[in-house]
Formats: sequence, C-alpha cells, structure tokens
Amino acid sequence: MSPTFYPLASLSQIEKTPSRADGIPDDLEEDLRANGCKLIHEAGILLKQKQVAVATAQILFQRFWYVSSMKTFGIGDVGMGALYLASKLEECPLRIRDLINVYDLLSQRAAHSIGPKSSAEFKYAPMSYFGNTFYDIKDAIVVHEMQLLKRLGFNVQVVLPYGTLINYLRLLGLMSREDASTRAWGYLNDALQTPVYALYQIPTIVCAAIYLTTRHLQIILPSEPPHCWWELFDADWEDLWSVCGYIMRLYQERSEHERLRVVGMISKKGVRSWLEEHPSEL
Amino acid sequence: MNYVQLEKLGEGTYATVYKGRSRTNNEIVALKEIHLDAEEGTPSTAIREISLMKELKHVNIVRLHDVIHTETKLVLIFEFCEQDLKKYMDQHGERGALDPNTVRSFMYQLLKGTAFCHENQVLHRDLKPQNLLINRKGELKLGDFGLARAFGVPVNTFSNEVVTLWYRAPDVLLGSRTYSTSIDVWSCGCIFAEMISGLPLFRGRDNHDQLLHIMRIIGTPSQQTFDKMSKDSPEIQVKQYPRYPKQDFRAVVPKASPHAIDLLERLLKFDPAERISAAEALSHPYFTSANTTNTFAVGSMAPPSFTFPHPHGLPPPQQQQQQQAYSRQPNYMANPVAVHQMHAAAQQQQQAQAAAMGGYGGVPMHYNAPFGHNPR
Repeated sequence: MSPTFYPLASLSQIEKTPSRADGIPDDLEEDLRANGCKLIHEAGILLKQKQVAVATAQILFQRFWYVSSMKTFGIGDVGMGALYLASKLEECPLRIRDLINVYDLLSQRAAHSIGPKSSAEFKYAPMSYFGNTFYDIKDAIVVHEMQLLKRLGFNVQVVLPYGTLINYLRLLGLMSREDASTRAWGYLNDALQTPVYALYQIPTIVCAAIYLTTRHLQIILPSEPPHCWWELFDADWEDLWSVCGYIMRLYQERSEHERLRVVGMISKKGVRSWLEEHPSEL
Repeated sequence: MNYVQLEKLGEGTYATVYKGRSRTNNEIVALKEIHLDAEEGTPSTAIREISLMKELKHVNIVRLHDVIHTETKLVLIFEFCEQDLKKYMDQHGERGALDPNTVRSFMYQLLKGTAFCHENQVLHRDLKPQNLLINRKGELKLGDFGLARAFGVPVNTFSNEVVTLWYRAPDVLLGSRTYSTSIDVWSCGCIFAEMISGLPLFRGRDNHDQLLHIMRIIGTPSQQTFDKMSKDSPEIQVKQYPRYPKQDFRAVVPKASPHAIDLLERLLKFDPAERISAAEALSHPYFTSANTTNTFAVGSMAPPSFTFPHPHGLPPPQQQQQQQAYSRQPNYMANPVAVHQMHAAAQQQQQAQAAAMGGYGGVPMHYNAPFGHNPR
C-alpha cells in the first residue's frame, strides 16, 4: 500500500512567510500561531469535538500561514474556519450555531483578560437577539473556510501521528512503559501548536517526541553513530533536533507583556495596529 | 468563464450538471455547478470531490480538469462522457443485460479504476451504475466522488451512511464504521451481476430488508462468521436472522460463465476480510483466460493499461503475477521489517514530492490554468 500523500511547505515559503514579509517578526508569528491553535483546542473541548478533527484543524491552520499573512487574515477567524472545515473532513460536522456561540465566548473572554477590568470575574454576555454579531461571525466562518480551501488549493489531506507513535513504541520495546507513551503522546499534541506538522514528515515528528520522552525519563536507547535508533525510522538527526526545538520553545516562560500582546492580536485589527506602532520591524 | 455553457445534463441534490465547450480548444466538457450556501459553507461533498479527484488521474476515472470559484458558486470542469452505465444498459442491453464481451470489458475497467483509487488510499463509497460513466469509445470511468474519502492509518471511524442501499456491503448494513476497500469491492460485485442479468441483484426496501435479500442469495453466515466480524469491527450489531441456505449462483445469474461465477463468488463474500481485492480480481481467470478468438466489438476490448504516472510520483504498481493471484497484503502492524521499508519508501517519495510541488497553494487553484498537478 502506498503512503497517504500530504503536502509540506516549500523552502521559499519557510524562509520568508507571508507574515514575515509584512513585517511581523518570527517570534511574534510563532506565538500567534500557538495562540491560534490554543483557541482551536479550547473551542474543540467546549464543543466536545473529537481530537482527530481538532488536530486536523490545527494542522490546516499551520499550513495556512505559509500562504497568507496575519496582516490580511485574523488568527481567530482562520482558526474557527479551520475547525469548521476539519469537522467536515473528519465526518463529525459541527452545527455552525454552536461554533458561533463558542467563538463569541472565547473572543469575549480574551477581550476581558486584557481589558481594564481583567481582575474582575469574567461574565459572558450572550449575543443580543437583534444584533449583527451572530451573522457577522457566521459570515466570517464561512468566508474563512473557503479561504482555507482556496489558498491551500484544496490540499486538505492530513495525516495524524498517533498510529505511527504506537507502532514505533512497540518496535522500540517501550509499550510496557506507560509513562513513556503518555509523555510522547503529550509531546505530539503540544507539537500541534507549532508549525512542525506543516514542515516535517510524520516519522520525524514522532521520533522527536520519543527522543524528548526518553531524554526526560532517562531511558537509554542506542544513540551513537552508526547505531542511532531514529535512523530505523528514516529520521534525520538535524530535522529531529529542529522539531525538538520547536516543541521546547513552547514551554519557555513568556513575559506578562508578551502574553498580553498575543491575546490582543486574535483579530487582524490587533496585528495591524501593532504593525503601525512598530514600523521599524519592517 | 473560459467555457460556454450548453444544455443541462442533469440535476442532483447539491449540483446541476451542464454540457460545456472550452473557448480555448473547443473541447466538450461537463460543468458541475455547486451553489454555495451561506448557511453551511462549502458542501462537504464538493470538498471531498475536489480534494480527492484532482489527484486521481487514470483512464478509468473521470478527470477533473479545472475548478472555477466565484462568490456564489463553485464550478467543477470534468471530462465529458456520453452516458452512465444505467442508461447504457437500458439502451444497448437486451432487457438491460449486456453481452458477455461488453460485460468483461466494463468489469475490467471498473476494477481497474477501483484498484487505482485503493492504491491511492481513496475509498469511493458510492459505486453504482448511475455513477459509472461510459464515453463514445466504450471507456468506463468512475465518477461522482462526493462520498469518497481518503484512508490511511486508521485513527477515526467513518460515517455509516454511505453507498446507495442496493450496492451497500453487508458489513456496512450491520453498522460497520471501520470498513475499508472491501466496501467498494462488494459494490463491484453487485454491478457485475447486474450487467450480466440486467437487473439489480439485491433490491431491499430498507437496511434490514437489504440484509435479508443478501442472505437469501449468499446464505445466512454461520455464527462463527458473525463472531469473527464482531471481533474485527466491534461496533456492528448482529441480530437474529432466519437461516437461509446459500443458493447456487448458476441459478441466480444463469447467463454467467463458470469463470464469471467464480469471480462473483469472490467479490460477494459476506465477511469483508474474505473479499478479494480489486487488484487481485484483475488477474482472475475470468479476465486472463479470455477467449481471444472473439471478434471485438466496439468497447469490448480492455483499454491499454493506464498511461498516466501516479500523481504522487510513485512507480506504477507491480503487476500481480498469476501465482500470487490471491495472496493477502502484508500486515504492516505485525511485521517490523515491512514497516521500515514502507517508511523508507514513503520518505523518499514525499521528499521528492515536496521538492517538486513547491509547497502549498503553489500549483492548483490558478483559476483558469489547468487544474491539478503532476510533480513530474
């Protein structure tokens, strides 16, 4: 059987992403990507959506930023469009009404957390019955779903890493170590907040998750050339190390300022006003 | 638009199909217009059809040439075929039954197209005479991929609401959500019998009635078979069924030759695990020991083997040899060596593809440029 085909970003797309070309620095783009994926994840939990659909949405979201700039599209809108699309692809469609309500809640909560009364308890204010919010959000979801399809050229095939992980753990004789499988599984899920699924083959990403796990749990596997275990799965050391870097950067402590800055940029308006204040970055 | 819209060919639930002519080269095409609904966004049928079909390039699969996208609609531009198998059987058959040479040719092409889908990890999930198109040259092509889906490492269960009732496999009727390629093979078997006899083989009114129709002909499976199927897909629901004996296919489809009967038996196995694969079926004696002294009528000859390289840059699949005819696929999960080889091959190809296709959005969706891409 042939492997399922899935596209990866090209070298030129990686060297200069559209957001970078618009003056958004690398570290900010990485943080915005991670935040967008967290939103998708939160929405997925509130909607009781299956993890396959959530993970697929996050991967489509990551791919999207190799063809479009965060100055042109808001991470919130694209995130919700991706979740709506992925739910169709994975055959567990969402009711658009539910997604709209959840999106509204998440936006209000984000706005509250950076607003003047952020120390007060957050209370959700339901949409007004005759207001436009509902229709505005609905249009945004439908438009961004179409933008994802169009800009990704309908290349919406996604391969998830979980089956491969189980296979590799079995081959490495780690199936009995429950702590190892749990931790590796967790790294794979966290990696969904990074661009790695749009950049590297599944075997490489899975090897990186196992590598981090074995290092953390001090499990010894053959790692001296010419006998490196990851070579069994055709992972390249440089790539594996780079994936580890992406994952570990997620866990770096962010300053309060950096944290709030990202929350303010869920919509493209936030990104644009930041760009106006930081023209020197161009 | 680069196409002139001509007469309407048909109307479906979510799309209208027109005949069209290209302004650039006068080629006749089929235009499938899908209205975009502001309530639900892009229909999932359209998403599936485009994302899967643009990769499948094969003589026995209707070619998707281009996609035009406007504010209110999506227009899919397909290769034009004169009619579907249903109409062909009504017009050319004797009370719907086709002559043996035509049946063999169509069956070969149907299995060839199906095998190509399966090689590319795509399930069609809605094979029936109405979705098989026949052109003037007697070529049969799989169309309407609105229900198709890609399958890979199984992480998800699939929808159970697939395939028109009469062509639906018994495991799906029992509620399976972990079905695979064998679901299309069952439909091929039903179509095979229908081409020979002129009548649909199992004509149930509803899910349960359909199962009974199937059991009345191929017999109620033994308790062991049911137990095994429940073990393979735990989500299926087995009820009590009357015990029907298996009927002799020679009585059910009297016009079929002994080889045809044997192939039919292998296609229509109740247990999906026992069903022959589309690729294996192609090397069945029904095709290989064909009586070549027959004069070939138009459309009765098998087409040349496909000329299009695999869209993903794979080498053409190795022809199954006679002696291997009914061997099973290696089980990758249980075989570490196979896993390793699979990944080595996967890695190489995908790197080649990634290099060739130039990342996202690079090639397809240049609206009026030829749609789809071939890395070579």
